[in-house]
Amino acid sequence: MLPPPHARGGPPPMPPPRPQQVADVTTGVFRAHWLIIPFQVIAVTLVFVALVGPILTQFGFAWVLVLAVAVVFGSLAYALPAWWYGSFGLREDHLVVHSGLLMRSSREIPLSRLQAVDVVQPLLMQVFGLAELRIELAGGDGSAIRLRCLRRKVAERLRVAVLAHAAGLPGRSPEAPEWPFYRLPFLLLLGALTFRVPVLLSFILLLLLVTAFLVFLEPGVLGGAVPLLLGLLRYYWGPLARYTDFYASLSSDGLRLRYGMFQRRMQTVPPGRVQAVRVVEPLLWRALGVARVEATVAGYAGARQGDSTDLLPVAPLGRAYSLVNELFPESEAAMVPLVVNRALLSTAAGTDERLFVSVRGLFCRVTEIVPVERMQTLRLSAGPIARIRGRVTVDVDTPPGPVAARAPAREAVQGRRFLDALVEYGRRARVPSAGTERWATRATMHGESVTKRYEGEESEDLKGDTPER
Amino acid sequence: MDDAFAAPADAPWQRLPTALAWYRRLVTGAACLAVGGGGVLLLLLWGQPLLAGVWAGLLLVTAVVLWFLAGRFQRSWGYAEASAELYLTYGVLVRQLVVVPYGRMQVVDVTADLLEQALGIATVRVRTAASTADTRVVGLPLADAVQLRDRLAARSESFSTGL
Repeated sequence: MLPPPHARGGPPPMPPPRPQQVADVTTGVFRAHWLIIPFQVIAVTLVFVALVGPILTQFGFAWVLVLAVAVVFGSLAYALPAWWYGSFGLREDHLVVHSGLLMRSSREIPLSRLQAVDVVQPLLMQVFGLAELRIELAGGDGSAIRLRCLRRKVAERLRVAVLAHAAGLPGRSPEAPEWPFYRLPFLLLLGALTFRVPVLLSFILLLLLVTAFLVFLEPGVLGGAVPLLLGLLRYYWGPLARYTDFYASLSSDGLRLRYGMFQRRMQTVPPGRVQAVRVVEPLLWRALGVARVEATVAGYAGARQGDSTDLLPVAPLGRAYSLVNELFPESEAAMVPLVVNRALLSTAAGTDERLFVSVRGLFCRVTEIVPVERMQTLRLSAGPIARIRGRVTVDVDTPPGPVAARAPAREAVQGRRFLDALVEYGRRARVPSAGTERWATRATMHGESVTKRYEGEESEDLKGDTPER
Repeated sequence: MDDAFAAPADAPWQRLPTALAWYRRLVTGAACLAVGGGGVLLLLLWGQPLLAGVWAGLLLVTAVVLWFLAGRFQRSWGYAEASAELYLTYGVLVRQLVVVPYGRMQVVDVTADLLEQALGIATVRVRTAASTADTRVVGLPLADAVQLRDRLAARSESFSTGL
């Protein structure tokens, strides 16, 4: 019978460590929350009862009940092992995702390639305190990783760990601090969304139709109101519900956006992942001095999230441009010298050593901004009529997204000079090893300057061609 | 106008062999023959010999026009490998000049369909993250195409700058 160890001069026994609520997410294997199983079972059963139920009621109500119970157990038998096998975990700077029961698949994703990370909370998941983590990779549709039904804390911590890994830091590093950038007042959102020509016209038409119905008691008039209502739902109520409570903040992880009334979202766009930006000013918004900022982010292409490309749904023009300057550091979008095109009304384009800027639109002014280091291809084109007039169009291609920057109908030789200047600036800006993978390992944070090395090739004698002012 | 579509300062345009013109002539000729023959047969069954003759004439004119256009199209193609970008020019109706930086190339591959194989030519296709520009070098002799692909792939590695 030994005395307890501390009586023999040993250290006193440590109390067993309390199991933590949220374990360290950088190690170990994770699964979705078990609530996903009842969710799936209920969803499948409801669909079955709604589709097959009416047919079965002809045979009697007992049949419906028996088959519904069978479907419940069948889906449970599938959902339970699928939940158990569907696991994921971080392995160094790779995310390993196992999924599927009949078609087992395991994907290993290098996190240095990630383009954006979102935490999404639909209404039902908000009730249970769950969230979904979406990781966008470059490569269009189907390359997004969706981890559903995580506890909100786990999702948040995974987001931090994933971003830290992508930035080249150890995954246990705390969340990067953020500083507030812009909080959208609800009244401004409401006012700006109302104060648009199509919305106002739809409202007026709708009122006219309703009064016509009340005066003449002609129900056929209301047929015209349905498409108007649908349009208003899509373009007025949709953005209103989506961007309620909009809050943007900046951190060294990039831009963080939080918004949503029924579906809370938290988007993170890492630095340097924004390929191009456009500032849209509809006719009536110019009177208010507000604008919308949209961005092309690789991985956000496709209709699935066509409208999550808004970085700022409504913001004062000054705020919008200061965001553009934050996204493309060391450049000043408003200072780029623009060459106004006399052939085409209200179009202008210009470039300096960092940015290509083009402005178009007589009523709805669209300013498109592409950093020269992000240009994919450059095109000079001239159709048959343009050739007779001696005009060419310069196109700057970026990955799929809302931005399509171009300088239309330039004089031929001037257009070519413009293209050559763009090629030259792009060549200087695309310093090798200046990719944005593992951004934290290179000091490209706010306010710190990037060492611009120009890796000269064989030909050092470069003609300093700039477009005519 | 030609100055605007001139070659870059450090590389002349590489033009393509006439096999490309013959490829297009064969394709368009076959298409015209199929449409014309089918139309004529239908119209004869319909009992309209006059219309059938008009139809055949129309298709013949189209084939001749396309025949000459194919030659112009082949002469309009050119590519130039500058120090850091690939330049392409093509187009008869809409003249184009495309500049693809080597560092932006994601995938470079060589394809050849049956007719191209018979003529001994191949297409080098360059893919970038932008899907708008059609960046291909068509109608190169197979050996040249493979060499060009290897050169471009090597340069896209050495100039790589991420996305």
